[in-house]
Amino acid sequence: MKNIRNFSVVAHIDHGKSTLSDRMIQLCGLVADRDFQDQLLDSMDIERERGITIKSQTVCLPYTAQDGQEYELNLVDTPGHVDFSYEVSRALSSCEGALLLVDAAQGIEAQTLANLYLAMENDLEIVPVINKIDLPAAEPEQVALEIEEDLGLDSEITQQCSAKTGEGVADILEAIVEYLPPPEGDPDLPLEALIFDANYDPYRGTVISVRIMNGTIKPGEQIIFMHNKVEYRVEEVGQFLLPKTKKKSLSAGQIGYIIAGVKTVSDTKPGDTITHKENPCATPLPGFKEVQQVVFSSIYPITSDDYEDLTSALEKLKLNDASLTYQKDSSAALGFGFRCGFLGLLHLEVVQERLEREFDISLILTVPSVKYLVSLQDGKEVVVDNPTYFPDPGTIDYIKEPFIKATILIPERYMGAVMSLCMERRGENTHYHYPMPGRIEFTCELPLAEVIYDFYDKLKSVTQGYGSFDYALIDYRQSDLVKLDILVNSEPVDALSQLTHRQRARERGMKACESLKEEIPRQMFKIDIQAASGGSIFSRTNISALRKDVTAKCYGGDISRKRKLLEKQKAGKKRMKTVGNVEIPQQAFLSVLKSDQ
Amino acid sequence: MSVRSCVPSLADSATNTLPSGLGLYIHVPFCLQKCLYCSFYSVTNQPDLYNRYAAAVKEQILRFAERSDIQAQQVHTIFFGGGTPSILGSDLLTRLLKNCFLNFDCAPGLETSLEVNPATVDQAALHELRRAGFNRISIGVQSFDDRELEVLGRVHSAADGIRTVQMARRAGFSNINLDLMYGLPDQDKHKWQESLQQALSLQPEHLSLYELTMEGNTPFAQRYDRGELRLPEEEVVLAMVATTEEMVTAAGLHRYEISNYARPDRKCSHNINYWHNASWLGLGPGAVSSLNGCKIKTISDVECFCQPGANKEERETLDNEAAFRETVVMGLRMIGGIGLEELEKRFAINAISYYGTTLDRLIAHNLVTIEEGRLRLTGQGLLLANTVMAELV
Ligand SMILES: Nc1nc2c(ncn2[C@@H]2O[C@H](COP(=O)(O)OP(=O)(O)OP(=O)(O)O)[C@@H](O)[C@H]2O)c(=O)[nH]1
Ligand code: SF4
Ligand SMILES: [Mg+2]
Repeated sequence: MKNIRNFSVVAHIDHGKSTLSDRMIQLCGLVADRDFQDQLLDSMDIERERGITIKSQTVCLPYTAQDGQEYELNLVDTPGHVDFSYEVSRALSSCEGALLLVDAAQGIEAQTLANLYLAMENDLEIVPVINKIDLPAAEPEQVALEIEEDLGLDSEITQQCSAKTGEGVADILEAIVEYLPPPEGDPDLPLEALIFDANYDPYRGTVISVRIMNGTIKPGEQIIFMHNKVEYRVEEVGQFLLPKTKKKSLSAGQIGYIIAGVKTVSDTKPGDTITHKENPCATPLPGFKEVQQVVFSSIYPITSDDYEDLTSALEKLKLNDASLTYQKDSSAALGFGFRCGFLGLLHLEVVQERLEREFDISLILTVPSVKYLVSLQDGKEVVVDNPTYFPDPGTIDYIKEPFIKATILIPERYMGAVMSLCMERRGENTHYHYPMPGRIEFTCELPLAEVIYDFYDKLKSVTQGYGSFDYALIDYRQSDLVKLDILVNSEPVDALSQLTHRQRARERGMKACESLKEEIPRQMFKIDIQAASGGSIFSRTNISALRKDVTAKCYGGDISRKRKLLEKQKAGKKRMKTVGNVEIPQQAFLSVLKSDQ
Repeated sequence: MSVRSCVPSLADSATNTLPSGLGLYIHVPFCLQKCLYCSFYSVTNQPDLYNRYAAAVKEQILRFAERSDIQAQQVHTIFFGGGTPSILGSDLLTRLLKNCFLNFDCAPGLETSLEVNPATVDQAALHELRRAGFNRISIGVQSFDDRELEVLGRVHSAADGIRTVQMARRAGFSNINLDLMYGLPDQDKHKWQESLQQALSLQPEHLSLYELTMEGNTPFAQRYDRGELRLPEEEVVLAMVATTEEMVTAAGLHRYEISNYARPDRKCSHNINYWHNASWLGLGPGAVSSLNGCKIKTISDVECFCQPGANKEERETLDNEAAFRETVVMGLRMIGGIGLEELEKRFAINAISYYGTTLDRLIAHNLVTIEEGRLRLTGQGLLLANTVMAELV
């Protein structure tokens, strides 16, 4: 066990975690050069397209250190985006150490801090790494100073590298062996295996990622999942080499996978403990903190026939994405679906894309909402995260909305711009201090509803990319909210309703009408779009009828190409939901929340 | 190889019925200058390639002519299109046409069309071409307004257009088509009426009237995207469509396809064969053949095409259902629509039960009708043809 190291790579988004992981994988000879591709661990299509990590990925690196000894390094590459910090916290629970990467040109950013705190909470040993030293704008000395003074980390062990060129990466592997502790635990104690992730394989059932805390597990043994006491027989255990490789056993300190023919998706719960049927451990491991979903939206299949498929797809996706919640829902306009909770809007988009790609279901997502607390005049309090269920305003005493505390790191010169952005979004209680000369750490309390959509994009644009942001829910505060309804050809469309601050209702209504006008294609009749609240209409527009849609020329050589264009047009239609007699495209529902660009 | 010589008679072929034989298309990918709106495959300034091109086409002709399935069929129409076929000169064109007559079983009196652009042919050339066996000529005049022609990047003037039509008449062509475009930048209804009136006064037997469309990467599309071109409003274009119908009908031509008008006996059989999604051979770079439900595309690269032996082809075969749907949407381009019985005989699919409620809805919206066993677009449906076809494709 003393030759095992379990560590996560954590950092702010884009600081180079996945690229550094690539270099370590190559140095350890895990993948032949000809099979190599950049950001190898970002295996999902959306990750590759967007160039970001969404899921944590574990890989086991066999490493011969300079002292001549063989080590087993289990590396967990984590996502940097704020929406996926839950992925980071789960990854950390299976590790003893972490590499904290800092971009040599960007310096410390908001998720650098957030992820450092997470690692500290988990009592991990931390090796700071300054990455991208090859960049012309790199300032490694300055960043080293920030790491020492601002983060209070040991500059003695700070590593410098370029994950791009590979410079300094060999030293990082040595530092891992030297400075990170080996796991503790006893292979002879009763089995305690922490489930930290899972994946559904249609042939083999659930593939369960575990960290063995104590004990040893082998194929053929009877195991139980402690939360629901179900029993399975182990078929295979192994390690996350590339590709994953069968082993005779996994024992205390190791990270690996278990296949036990688990076909009932709900039996596997990340955070649960697996133990032996004979000689079980006394109590389960503490597991994971519950996550708080902050954004809610309903998912409907575009064709109602797909409802069954959506049900099973959500169940399987949940296995691989423990931070998603869902429950049955229905809408007058859209039929049966699910109300889902997400960690943020990127998370929402990712779930939508994964459901569509991995399960081949076309979906509509309704306008996202946060969770409101509504106190009624009869003294009762109801939780509303779906505008459809907003109580009759006449019965409402008062409403509270969630507030967050935003922590924003910026160079001093952007202070004014960031301040006015926060004020525009109903910010309160701003504070700031200078962790380093020239840099400001700005905090502000904001309604969550004002930041979920595009706050981060706006922040990036007003700070020319230098601002970064992290947030935490703090409390609920009383607020003057109204329900904004959208009427399409005079019919209210429940799935397009949103709750909004009274002062912002008019502006949002206008914006919603404009976005819908942009997104809904012209149809054979004129479409009226209106925004209304409490029965009074305060914004309207219309989409004129489509009067001409015809291809002038089509001869022998064009037939295939023209047919493909028509097929594309047809496929586009399939991705629209018919509400009343109007076809509304998928993206229209989300566009309603987008603010002006 | 036996020589099946067949010089067509001068009589024009009747073109009202469903073509049963093969069409033969020869793509000539050369132009004097690239028009700004054009996305067709053609190259400019390569006269040194013409002979090699002709040799490569001949090679293709010989290769197809060896196939027994092609020997078993008669060629009913020949069409030299482009590009600008007339740029090759009458000698080369005559030689190529002879090659076709010699190597394929050509129906007597078959329709033999040639596309020409104004200012690329003279009187002598037109006489020679007529004598060589071309009996239908299609002239790309596009507009009779010099300023519009300039905006389009055409190399000729309105007067060149008129002169070419008159010369073709003198050369003995009694089947003349004019290509015209409407919906041009800054064109209004009145200007279009003038161009169209000028065209009609030349008494063509056939008119192809196309709305300008912005295609892909053309300089026009780029200028349009940059906001430098002002196209007429939809209202105006609709008014142009309406006036077209009136003026053309008054002149004794009938609309028989979305963009094509003809005297009753002068519909273009070659193109009708495409809209039936029947069989044809396409020769030359970028041309597509359709044989037994399989589409074969010849590479769109003249250089490569001219390499002896190097014939790169792409094939696409649709399954029966997809071929059926393709045939339906192609057939709907014709004003007379598609015969349902004939369709069922060909694909063993009954369109009415196949499309079910989709078809009911289109009928209810007055976009298509079924009358006397034919499915066709209504007047409204013709304006929204793509919307309808996207339901049926
Ligand atoms: N110049 C330079 N670029 C680098 C270096 N390391 C990473 N990059 C680039 O930085 C970008 C982000 O790299 P990733 O490895 O995807 O970053 P990440 O931290 O994994 O990002 P997330 O997973 O989305 O949080 C990519 O374009 C990399 O090519 C480096 O050392 N030098
Ligand atoms: S002459 Fe015809 S093929 Fe040639 S560039 Fe002009 S429009 Fe295109
Ligand atoms: Mg990454």
